[in-house]
Amino acid sequence: MFSDLSGQKQGQCLLSPPLFEDQAPVFERTSSRYCPRSERYSLGERSFSRQYAHIYAARLMQMKPLLSEAAQQKWGAEVPIKKLCDLQAGEQCCIVGTLFKGMELQPSILKEISDELNLLPQPARVKYISETDKLILEDELQRIKLEGKIDRDKCVTGSVIAVYGAEKNDGIFTVEDFCTADFPAQTPRPALSCDTFVLLASGLGLGSSRADSMLGLQLLVDMVTGQLGEQQEQNGAATISRIILAGNLLSQNTQEKDAALKPKYLTKKTQAGSVEAVRLLDELLLQLVASVPVDVMPGQYDPTNYTLPQQPLHPCMFPLSSAYPTLHLVSNPYQADIDGVRVLGTSGQNVRDIQRYSSMDNHLDILEETLQLQHMAPTAPDTLGCYPFYQKDPFILEDCPHVYFSGNAPSFQSKIITGAGGQEVLLVTVPEFSGTQTACLVNLRTLSCEPVTFSAFCVGEDEEGPMNVSH
Amino acid sequence: MKCTPTAVGANPNKEICGEGVRRGQRPGLNARDSHWFGASAVCPRRRTPPAPVAGRRAAAVIPFAAPIGSFPHLSPPLCKNVRGTGCFPQTRAAIGRAEVKEGRDMEFKRRNNDSLMGGAPQSKWAKKNTEWEDSPSQFEEELSMFLDADMDIEDQEGQASHDVIPVGDLFTTDLNPRWRRPPAPALDPSTDTLVFQQIDLDYYLGVTAAGMPGQSQGKAPIVRMFGVTDNGNSVCCHIHGFAPYFYVPAPNGFTSAHLGEFQNELNSAVLKDMRSNKDNISVTVLAVDITRKENMYGYHGKRVLDFLRITMAMPRLIAPAKRLLEQGLKFGPFPLHYYQAFEANIDFEIRFMVDTNVVGCCWIELPKGKYRVRAENDLLVTDSQCLGKVSFCQYEVDIGWTDFVSHPAEGDWQRIAPLRVLSFDIECAGRKGIFPEADKDPVIQIASMVQRQGETEPFIRTVFTLQSCASIVGSQILCFTQETKLLQSWAEFLRTVDPDIITGYNIQNFDFPYLLNRAATLKVNPFPYLGRIRNSKSVLRDLNFQSKQMGRRENKTMNMEGRVQFDLLQVLLRDYKLRSYTLNAVSFHFLQEQKEDVQHSIITDLQNGNEQTRRRLAVYCLKDAYLPLRLLQKLMCVINYMEMARVTGVPLTYLLSRGQQIKVVSQLLRQAMKQDLVMPVVKTEGGEDYTGATVIEPEKGYYSIPIATLDFSSLYPSIMMAHNLCYTTLLQNTQDKDSLSPEDFIKTPTGNFFVKSSVRKGLLPEILENLLSARKRAKAELKKETDPFKRQVLDGRQLALKISANSVYGFTGAQVGKLPCLEISQSVTGFGRQMIEQTKQLVESKYTISNGYQADAKILTRSWLSSELPQVNEAMSIGREAAEWVSSHFISPIKLEFEKVYYPYLLINKKRYAGLYFSSSADTHDKMDCKGIETVRRDNCPLVANLINTCLQKILIDRDPQGAVDHAKEVISDLLCNRIDISQLVITKELTRTAQEYAGKQAHVELAERMRKRDAGSAPNLGDRVPYVIIKAAKGAAAYMKSEDPIYVLENSIPIDTQYYLEQQLSKPLLRIFEPILGESKAESVLLTAVCDFCKKKESELYQKEIYHLNTLEERFSRLWTQCQRCQGSLHEDVLCTSRDCPIFYMRKKVQKDLDDQSKLVSRFGW
Repeated sequence: MFSDLSGQKQGQCLLSPPLFEDQAPVFERTSSRYCPRSERYSLGERSFSRQYAHIYAARLMQMKPLLSEAAQQKWGAEVPIKKLCDLQAGEQCCIVGTLFKGMELQPSILKEISDELNLLPQPARVKYISETDKLILEDELQRIKLEGKIDRDKCVTGSVIAVYGAEKNDGIFTVEDFCTADFPAQTPRPALSCDTFVLLASGLGLGSSRADSMLGLQLLVDMVTGQLGEQQEQNGAATISRIILAGNLLSQNTQEKDAALKPKYLTKKTQAGSVEAVRLLDELLLQLVASVPVDVMPGQYDPTNYTLPQQPLHPCMFPLSSAYPTLHLVSNPYQADIDGVRVLGTSGQNVRDIQRYSSMDNHLDILEETLQLQHMAPTAPDTLGCYPFYQKDPFILEDCPHVYFSGNAPSFQSKIITGAGGQEVLLVTVPEFSGTQTACLVNLRTLSCEPVTFSAFCVGEDEEGPMNVSH
Repeated sequence: MKCTPTAVGANPNKEICGEGVRRGQRPGLNARDSHWFGASAVCPRRRTPPAPVAGRRAAAVIPFAAPIGSFPHLSPPLCKNVRGTGCFPQTRAAIGRAEVKEGRDMEFKRRNNDSLMGGAPQSKWAKKNTEWEDSPSQFEEELSMFLDADMDIEDQEGQASHDVIPVGDLFTTDLNPRWRRPPAPALDPSTDTLVFQQIDLDYYLGVTAAGMPGQSQGKAPIVRMFGVTDNGNSVCCHIHGFAPYFYVPAPNGFTSAHLGEFQNELNSAVLKDMRSNKDNISVTVLAVDITRKENMYGYHGKRVLDFLRITMAMPRLIAPAKRLLEQGLKFGPFPLHYYQAFEANIDFEIRFMVDTNVVGCCWIELPKGKYRVRAENDLLVTDSQCLGKVSFCQYEVDIGWTDFVSHPAEGDWQRIAPLRVLSFDIECAGRKGIFPEADKDPVIQIASMVQRQGETEPFIRTVFTLQSCASIVGSQILCFTQETKLLQSWAEFLRTVDPDIITGYNIQNFDFPYLLNRAATLKVNPFPYLGRIRNSKSVLRDLNFQSKQMGRRENKTMNMEGRVQFDLLQVLLRDYKLRSYTLNAVSFHFLQEQKEDVQHSIITDLQNGNEQTRRRLAVYCLKDAYLPLRLLQKLMCVINYMEMARVTGVPLTYLLSRGQQIKVVSQLLRQAMKQDLVMPVVKTEGGEDYTGATVIEPEKGYYSIPIATLDFSSLYPSIMMAHNLCYTTLLQNTQDKDSLSPEDFIKTPTGNFFVKSSVRKGLLPEILENLLSARKRAKAELKKETDPFKRQVLDGRQLALKISANSVYGFTGAQVGKLPCLEISQSVTGFGRQMIEQTKQLVESKYTISNGYQADAKILTRSWLSSELPQVNEAMSIGREAAEWVSSHFISPIKLEFEKVYYPYLLINKKRYAGLYFSSSADTHDKMDCKGIETVRRDNCPLVANLINTCLQKILIDRDPQGAVDHAKEVISDLLCNRIDISQLVITKELTRTAQEYAGKQAHVELAERMRKRDAGSAPNLGDRVPYVIIKAAKGAAAYMKSEDPIYVLENSIPIDTQYYLEQQLSKPLLRIFEPILGESKAESVLLTAVCDFCKKKESELYQKEIYHLNTLEERFSRLWTQCQRCQGSLHEDVLCTSRDCPIFYMRKKVQKDLDDQSKLVSRFGW
């Protein structure tokens, strides 16, 4: 688990006789400097009287200079950067704009509510891409269809890109090459003197019908709080300076979306499906926050607002744990400096949405792609619910994080990538805990990352003990 | 000269068009005779029409399983449904409803299918078209993706298709080579044969061309055909020598020696009768001949009589000649004689077409050596006999009326020429709050799309704009600084493109009148020459149109020789019953496509913006021009109408401007001519009433057993054929009857006598046989045909044939028609009645337990047969067997057909039922069939239709009546708790008159008045559909005062009167469908009660509930608004659309408000 501590010392394994209470060593939990950086994701006074055009406009306005620069770097300083309305047929040029992908399979609320089509529910799909999709580039005023050397299926609506090519008189822009904004600039990472770990977990899935995940979860809590393993391991657990829970603390089963459509007087006496699960969560958090700082991000199924950025869970739901200052109810997306290391992540909705609307499947690749695009959630607001921002788009990545994660992934993956400007970023897809029993540990000193799996009933024979720690 | 009834010497009291159309005179050289095309007069003393047999389908049931919730107290008594009895004032208004009843019935069925299956008849078409049937919005991309084969050619000429023409550039007609028709190769009349499809036909008075038959001096009627060759070249063909005529019976003792004297006497009488003689006519009667003819009306033992055929110089002289002869003419040795006129009320065009075997849209061949080509008319005509071109057509020819060949529409001659269809839309910059007025507000944009019939995409896409406009990929933009230039250039564009068919949405009553009035205001003199005749100015006229099918309508009309005006709105009003007729609603209905709806007020703002805002407007305008084309194609209007024209033999334009009668007249004349029969001119008068149909009282209930339905196929036509019912077979008096043996004639159930076909075969049965056998052939060909385009033609044809066959019965019953014959129509319904009773007896006597069947059969309104094995295939086979057996008891071609099996089936009453429809396969149902249930009624709010629909689905498809009850209860409590989306509660009604003109106060009228006071600009105008909801008001407030604008309601948080919706809208239809299931008393108590309760919870729980509500609302918000973005096709611009027909419109407004409210609520938790 904690790589440098994993060697076991003789005679101090679990099977040795218990030490007396007062002899037991006390491991001081490593503390770290913590500075939240999520202001940009908090909504003040909310108003829904605005439309979505503003966020697209703000996005394009902010990203256009970046892309112009990137384009000139790629195709030379003399490349003409044109607006669509000035486009001349046949002229080789570069155009910066927002992508729009016309998708036939995309679920349409219009079709759903159309009274004449209510006989045919639209089939649920994993992916909405199809052969008939059309790629369109839109600048401030106009749009044009794209064809050529651009992977249609990989692209998603809302990405701001620069394309190079020419319109060949047929109303279609033939792309020869395109570029994205690429990684933003990064502040240097401070050198840490010792190993400090941050534990990332997501998709606890409380309130699900599957009981077996509860044991894994309890093991996780016990491990972190030092109730598990022998001394070395307890010592190792003490180096976990922080826990980040990346959304979907509750299971999808707690969702009763149609409850909202039911008449109020009928729902007055029935409580929301999440009440019991929230109570459980409060108890679980209580165990954690008593020992370690925890950042709780909401996810898709958690009781907060729907649109991104999701606002922190309300403390009134956690009467037990909210008494501790170590409980940090944070927003999704979430950003903070931990020991000077910039950590940025989401509960995974942005990645999952891109997965649904593009050919990309691997969450890690998608994560990297968003970094390339310099935008966390390009599909917002088109297919990803998003607050109608005015004059700003908080999802643009202005600074490059050191750790960039997304939650609720199907499996654990991580890698360190290096940007053209020397940016070094650790990408982590945090697996859904309820399905994989896996959390991950990030070493803030080395930026290395490893999964920790808590499996009650091990499948493989070579696994040992109730706590299976796989590296 | 204004066309007034007195101008043609008719009694104005009489000639207030029945279903006919009043056509004014065309000015100028080629003025038509002013005459009334009225089918005949509608006088205040008109009679009620014969009512059709409503329950014309017999029905039987063998119920072993008692229907759920059956009503033992409701035994099925035979009940005579007495319809149409008594001459009450209100029934009089429904003149001859029966005439179109059949046709409408059929259409209704089709429509029903459409809405249920999402457009079933179009499915084949849709399949072919999938590649350009895109998801709603991306019209701009769609535009940019139209690629043309001839794009390359243009490239060579260095003209990009979407070049922006600099403002103020000179306009030349050769701006875009694509606009022109393909070049016409030179034509040598001595060696080339000219073949073209005629699409329009009219006549004018003119000088006969040299070498052509016809009067050599003075003006003669010349028929003019317009058409297109296979190459796409336009043709104008002048046909000379045909003169109008009519018949009168020759007086006793009249011989050919008297002909000259008669002619002179009549000639001078007509001349004397003329008030003025502008045209200096010296000869009015061209010829009188004796022919042997027989009166069509009644059987007189095949008595052929001498008839005088009187040929007149001009069509408009027929009416005075007829009148004078009817008033009595004395000549030579003969005393004063009152002549009865025959065939004097036939339109000249129809007369010509019948005599020359020309049908609408048929192919015409001009053999070589028979015709002359007119040369370009450069100089003034020196030789009056050598006429130059007068039209814009590429070929202009002259031919004698006996020299051309008309090809019947069979085989290869069924094809359709590459007609050019132009669709256009204009935008006007109105002033705030005022609907654009042509004398004040400029036309700022005209978008046009031109498509060749049979192709899938328009090949010309242009926008003419006032002021600069940014380019639109795939479309040509022409910018003008002056509005006069814009109008003039567009007119030139139109003449260059030379479309055969002009379409658009409401062009007839808005776009064209506006353009013409605007051009007149700005004095753009070259503008109003939009037809194909050079000197013919297009002039607006008001036109009153009345028919039973359409009701009374006031339309505008303009002349445009050679081009067919095909206003899509008019087509839809004629053929489809829709909730709303806005282009947006219509395209959503048929294409599942929304369009952005831009309000008048915004249009001016967009125009006054910059070239980008004008571009946005242009895109919108282009879409409005494009959608009619798509709809035309999807609904196959052109093909269906063309087939109808061919089948019935009338010009294409008649189909949109005239009623049903003219079609039957055309066929009747064609048939009569073959047998030397002549059609009398009858004076319409009142007659006795007769009983309507028998309706077997239905046994209501929810049947969870398969029920077979049997149907008489083409009931009325087959009755007429089986019993040889016709004008020519009617025995009117006893002495005719006495001369026949009793085997030679029949007595109908209504006591009329008709001779059998062995004595004389009737004309109507013959027409019907032709129509139905042609239909059979078309259907057989349709089965074989694989080419989708030809399939459409055939499908259109078989439909046209069916409608035509059904309209024959209506023609005989139309009291104000050309040739009503009550004896025929009442006999038809009489037979129908009798047959249903007979069927009932037959089925109920044979299919009994005692005869070895598993249960007794019973008749409901249709034939229901059920088998004890709850299997659909059993029911199908018994149904087939019974149909065949019953058919054997009737005279051929009457045939009872097994139609389908319903399983399960909900029968509410004779006109309301629903069931799962099994026809093609016994395993899976084809569709859910609903009739007469509140799913299409327009004066209900959508909530009713949706709820009823869902309940029916639960009852029929899920077989879960309890689930349906639960759902209904849920929706009712939602309604009472105000949780129903407001868009579901919007009722719309058309504002047809101003408040003063309405007798009683009406909700929508009152609202319109109130809105006008609030803001004159956004208030609905006459003809608009007014959407409203019913709001809570003080106790005792009249219902009409409680209507309110939905937007106003949302903005001001006005509470909805949920009780009204429950009691006035939901309860009746709901009880209706649940009564058969739950029982009358129970249904009410189960459904219409709701409980309320309150109970406080702890903070966390409360918070969670509220936050989830917020969560759901946010999801809706984001989905709704992004949908609108997609629909408008732009991410960076605000959604402006104000389409109130879009289901999203109110929803997105409401969700904004709800979200703000809910946010506030949640923020009270200290969020």
